[in-house]
Amino acid sequence: MKQLLNKPLRAFAGYAFLILLCSIPAYYYFMDYIWISELNEHNRIIAEKTKYNLNAIANQDSTLAQTIGLWNKLQPNTDLQPTPTIQPDSIYNLYKQKPHAPNQDIDRFQGLVTYFSIQGQPFRFRVETNVEESYETILTITGVTLVFFIFLVLGFILINKRISARLWQPFYATLQKLRAFSLDKQQSITFDPANIAEFEELNQALSSLIESNLGVYKQQKEFTENASHELQTPIAIVQSKLDLLLQNQNLTQEQSSYIDEANQALARVSRINKNLLLLSKLENVQYARQESINLSELLSDTVLLFADYAEGKNIAINTILEPGVSATGNKVLVEILLTNLILNAIKHNVDHGSIQIKLSPDRLVIANSGTTALLFDQLFRRFGRASTHTPSTGLGLAIVKEIATKHNWTICYEFQGNWHYFSLILTP
Amino acid sequence: MKLLIIEDEPALSKSIAAYLAGESYLCEFADTFAKALEKIALYSYDCILLDLMLPGGSGLKILEELKRQNKADGVIIISAKNALEDKIQGLQIGADDYLAKPFHLSELTARIHAVIRRKQFGHSNLIKQNELEIDLLAKSVQVKEMPVLLTKKELDLLLYFIGNKNRVISKAALAEHLSGDLADMLDSHDFVYAHIKNLKKKLHEAGCDSYLKTIYGVGYKWEL
Repeated sequence: MKQLLNKPLRAFAGYAFLILLCSIPAYYYFMDYIWISELNEHNRIIAEKTKYNLNAIANQDSTLAQTIGLWNKLQPNTDLQPTPTIQPDSIYNLYKQKPHAPNQDIDRFQGLVTYFSIQGQPFRFRVETNVEESYETILTITGVTLVFFIFLVLGFILINKRISARLWQPFYATLQKLRAFSLDKQQSITFDPANIAEFEELNQALSSLIESNLGVYKQQKEFTENASHELQTPIAIVQSKLDLLLQNQNLTQEQSSYIDEANQALARVSRINKNLLLLSKLENVQYARQESINLSELLSDTVLLFADYAEGKNIAINTILEPGVSATGNKVLVEILLTNLILNAIKHNVDHGSIQIKLSPDRLVIANSGTTALLFDQLFRRFGRASTHTPSTGLGLAIVKEIATKHNWTICYEFQGNWHYFSLILTP
Repeated sequence: MKLLIIEDEPALSKSIAAYLAGESYLCEFADTFAKALEKIALYSYDCILLDLMLPGGSGLKILEELKRQNKADGVIIISAKNALEDKIQGLQIGADDYLAKPFHLSELTARIHAVIRRKQFGHSNLIKQNELEIDLLAKSVQVKEMPVLLTKKELDLLLYFIGNKNRVISKAALAEHLSGDLADMLDSHDFVYAHIKNLKKKLHEAGCDSYLKTIYGVGYKWEL
């Protein structure tokens, strides 16, 4: 992914390159123009001066031809020759070999051909001045432009870096805080004040978004918690009335069985309610206390707790617990997690089935005999029915998952060779 | 024995009173915070059942007031809020027990019984019933002055029955008593049966009358 600031950098560098590229012919054209016009002027001055001086010297007839001959010899770049008529001046530009030069360099010359008369005799005067060659000019300009372009781009990169470090610092600070944010931790974010209007606006918008989300989330959670609390009292009333009804001396067996069934259903309502309450408390960041828990001991205690129940259902529990396995977490929650997993293994077992519990430092595997694989995507969902057998609250495994997640543990399910495997992976 | 039920749900307080009616309990009621404060200031009770969420104030305030007045009344908190913090706080202020709603009346009765017993007999805790004698401190049981060896759970059940004598106790209530919070998660309460069978057998072999009756399909009853 490209960084935001690199995009304008590329555009800027490209634009600078284009402009500098266009500037090369422009520079050349202007420089050459200046050169040529200056040299034309220079040639003209030489011609004027020559004309004046020769007119001044050559007062005597006898010396004129001598002087001109000498002139032509001594002034290498000029040529003065008698001509039949006076013609208009002409200017030219040519490349030729330097006269009398040891090396065979080709040089560029700006020339002027003018006609004037000395002592009434018409002369043609030619002067040539050496000019910088076009290709050398272009080469130099290109070279200099390239150097400047490199400086420009280096400057852009440097400035860009400083800008991204300084200018974008509040943005990155905000990003960092957003990453650390989690709705279920219920902690609002306070952004540092940014000195850039856009970032400040962004921070304010984020703050109000987070505040309102937290508000809605809290309300929702409180609703579940309050609803569960409110339900406890009517359940308690119904329970007490059933207990009272049971005391009636004249109950028929049929009536008694009605009470018993009502009792069972009520126990289930009560359990669902307690589980909902537990889930909402889990989400409301209660149970924040963390301590080191000896899983080996806790697990064997929990298994002991269920010994009666499992025996009553003819289910054998075999344990292989490595001693001294510990984990950091909330003891109340871990107890609930273990209880739910073991209870699940007992409840959803076959007749005369068995349970294998294996604890090693990095994982806990609870396996129970079964007949068919459970629906994985329903398994850990609230009120998800992974099987159609025994009635349950539908929340037990959702709670397991919630607690595992809270401790950064992973819970997996597998069905292999008529065994259900629930693995709790303790390493995050 | 005097009992004060501080509970804003009349249906529930009436149930409790009705269940306890056969016993020598005299129940009084307070359904608001103010009424409760008035009652505890004026009278003394053997046991107070205290709901935490009351119209007009928190039950914990009443508990603090009781302690401030140096009252020796036994207090059992009955709360819909089964929060660990509340439980710890309540017990720290000086409640004798904490029972989360919903509960079985037999469980409540057993706990009231235990609280009153502790208050009344101080530290010499001996329960006598005809040929049966239970030493709570030593956790030993004697029938006709001969020791009977009971497991912890059997003794627990025996005390529960004696606290609820002449009342039908459902298997669910017994299961809940034995396995605590787990009970309502269990889909079968058959394990209760095994313990009761053993208890009955041991008492019978020691020559104890069979007070423990099975009410078919419903539960059990300790009949005197």
